[in-house]
This record gives sequence, C-alpha cells and structure tokens, in this order.
Amino acid sequence: MSYITEGFKEAVKLLITWDGEVFQIVSLSILVSTSATLFASIISVPLGTYFAIKKFKGKNLFSRLTYTMMSIPSVVIGLLVAIGLSRKGPLGHLDLLYTKEAMIIAQGLLVTPLIFGLTYGLVKSRGNTIEKVAFTLGCNRLDTIILIIRELRVDILINIATAFSRAISEVGAVMIVGGNIKNYTRVMTTTISMMNSMGDYPMAIALGIVLLLISFIIHSIIYSYSREE
Amino acid sequence: MDIQIKNLKKYYGENQVLDIESLAIKKQRITGIIGPNGCGKTTLLNIIAGLDKEYLGNINYNNKKINKEIVSNMTIVFQKPYLFRRSVYDNIEYPLKIRGIDRQKSKPLVEDIMKRLEIEDLRDKKAHRLSGGESQKVALGRALVFNPKLLLLDEPTSNIDPEYIVTMESEIKKFNRENKGTVIIVTHNIEQSKRLCDNIIGMENGRVVY
Repeated sequence: MSYITEGFKEAVKLLITWDGEVFQIVSLSILVSTSATLFASIISVPLGTYFAIKKFKGKNLFSRLTYTMMSIPSVVIGLLVAIGLSRKGPLGHLDLLYTKEAMIIAQGLLVTPLIFGLTYGLVKSRGNTIEKVAFTLGCNRLDTIILIIRELRVDILINIATAFSRAISEVGAVMIVGGNIKNYTRVMTTTISMMNSMGDYPMAIALGIVLLLISFIIHSIIYSYSREE
Repeated sequence: MDIQIKNLKKYYGENQVLDIESLAIKKQRITGIIGPNGCGKTTLLNIIAGLDKEYLGNINYNNKKINKEIVSNMTIVFQKPYLFRRSVYDNIEYPLKIRGIDRQKSKPLVEDIMKRLEIEDLRDKKAHRLSGGESQKVALGRALVFNPKLLLLDEPTSNIDPEYIVTMESEIKKFNRENKGTVIIVTHNIEQSKRLCDNIIGMENGRVVY
C-alpha cells in the first residue's frame, strides 16, 4: 500500500512544483485535443444539424450508421490514419506520421462522428419546433441551421465537451500515430500507459489527476453557462 | 392573399381528418375558422401555412401553388409559441434580420410594434422566460413586424388574460385594416370570432359545415 501513498505524495509534489516535463505533456495534450475537437466541431455541428432536418430516402439506415460510427474504436482510427500517413501510404509524402499534426488528425477523425451523431440526435429530437418556427418566419436552409445551432447551443456545447473528454482521454490512436516520443509527441494518456508499465506511478498519478481536473473544469464552466442560460 | 382550396383530403393512417370539397378565403379579410376540438381546424391551418405537405388536393395562393415567395409572405402564430432564447427585442427583430434589413432601419419598426403591443418594458428580457400572455404578444409582434400578406393565428388568445386579449385583437384588426393583410384565425371562441372576423367558417369532423 505504501507505494500508492508514496505515489500520490510524489504526484502532488510534481504538480505543485509544476515539473517541466509534466507541463510539456499537459500542454501538448490540451493543444492536440482542443484542435481536434475544434476542427471536428466546425464540420460536424452544421452537418449534423443539416442531416437531422433534411428529409431523404434511407434516413433510418443513415441514423443507424451514424450511431454505429460514434463508437468506433480509437485504435481502428489510429491504424487507418497510420496506414494513410505511412511512407508507402497515399499521404506518405506529407511526412506527418509521428508528429502532433498526425495526432490531431487521428483524434479529429475519432470525435467527428461522435459530435456529428450527438448533434444529429439532438436536433432530430429537439430541433423540430425550431425548424417549424424558422419556416413560418421565412428562413432559408442556412438561416434555419444557424438558428437551430444558436437555440440548442448549451446542449451542443455539452456534446462538444463530451467529445473533448473522449479525445483527451483516448490512448490508442495517439499512441499509434504519435509514437509517444519524449518531448515531441508524448501526451498524458500515452505517458500514463507507459509509466504504468514501467512501474513509475508518481508521474502517472500526477497526470491522472490533471486529466480529471481538466474534465472537471470544462464541465463546471459549461454547467455554470447552462444555468445562466 | 386569396386562398382557394379544392378537394382537400388529409389522412392520419386510415383515419380521415379533413375532407373539404371547396373553400375560398378572400384576401384582405379576417376569416375565422371555428369548431369543436379535434374537428381539423389546426390541421387545416398547418396545411395552409405549408407546414404539413402530406395531403391530397389543391391549394392555391392568388392562383399560384405554394412557392418560396409565398412562404416568405406568410406566417403563423401558434397556440403555444416558441420564442428564441434571446431578448424580446431580438425575437421581434429576427424576421427583419433574415430579410437583410439593417439594424438602423429595423429599429423603428421593432420599437413601433413593441409600443403598440404594450411590451416596451419587456424589451431586454429573455423571451423564453416570459408568461403565457406576454409570450403570445411577443409572438404576434414577431409575426406582424415584417408585414406578411397572410397572417395565420392558431388560438392566439386561449389561456391568456382578458387585458392581453383586448390589445391583441385590436392589433390584429389594425394590421388587417392598415396593411391590407389577410388574416385566418382558428378559435373555439365564438364571441371572439364575432368581434374580429368578417367571415366565419364552421368545421365539424374535418368538413366545412357553413
């Protein structure tokens, strides 16, 4: 038991002294996951809204496929991106494998179907009334999409926060395409995984605490905003 | 806007809810549609508004089929209106904004409507937090601000205080008189239809009975 308490003590020390390596790992994690979530949101929120209000043949099948894609395993995404970016792959000439850009792409692809699916489900269930009012006021398709996004912004933000949590806490994709290279592509989850296998608990615990703290802060902000709204 | 309805039939599954052989609604008039609950008044209104497209038969607006221009020149105020999660002012300004009217030009129009409906004091309040009567007034303001040629009202004064009803009825009449707008109002209040309407259509079991 003592190694656990010692691990916690050391972890707190690392956080209080704001260890350089911890700082770098945390910063890179936030940068990668924020960029990935941001890019994915810009694409997925309007598209999810558009497909939710559009009536088309095969929408039931489309819904099922959308919800299936939401739970795509991160290692599968990692593998696909790695194949695409490997030297012999179709995008090999970009030389992106084992870089933070590759990690952003992988996490972006991971959360794109998640944000799309969550937005799609939300608008399908709650966007109908807004769409009806938009139609009666003379909105075109673009006005309607913007209006629905604005009206459901709190729920959409919660969905984006959920996607961010998924991005920052996944390990499979970033491990495969980033390679967990020290001072370059090492992020919180890959470090925790590596430190655990090495039996070096303080750093792993410290990063685990930071991960939880980030999640707590983001959800607290959104909770306060939704209460205000 | 003249409306001509021919052989209109509407089904929910195998259940026929509307069966109207012929109905003409004259422009620049206030037409009331009255009848008991479930007689098809709201269904008819939704079809006229273009919200319900699953029906059989023909509806013409000034001898034309429904199109974008017609849609942008009509609006509906629902029994339980949905107001946007923004201020009362922004709600009323919204139809002008999407029509490309800039803030300078829209300001006097919005302020005039708010004054006429006696809701100036609600200007900065969040619209989705208003009471039922206040919401109805804001919804009416949002509908009137862009001067639609056809105004459809679905029980706009049900469950609201008499003081609000007087103001709203007066504004509906004024809109019809001054802007030559056509108004169709669904109500189960016979007294209200007598006060407001030039024509009354009675419905029963999905049919027009007078």
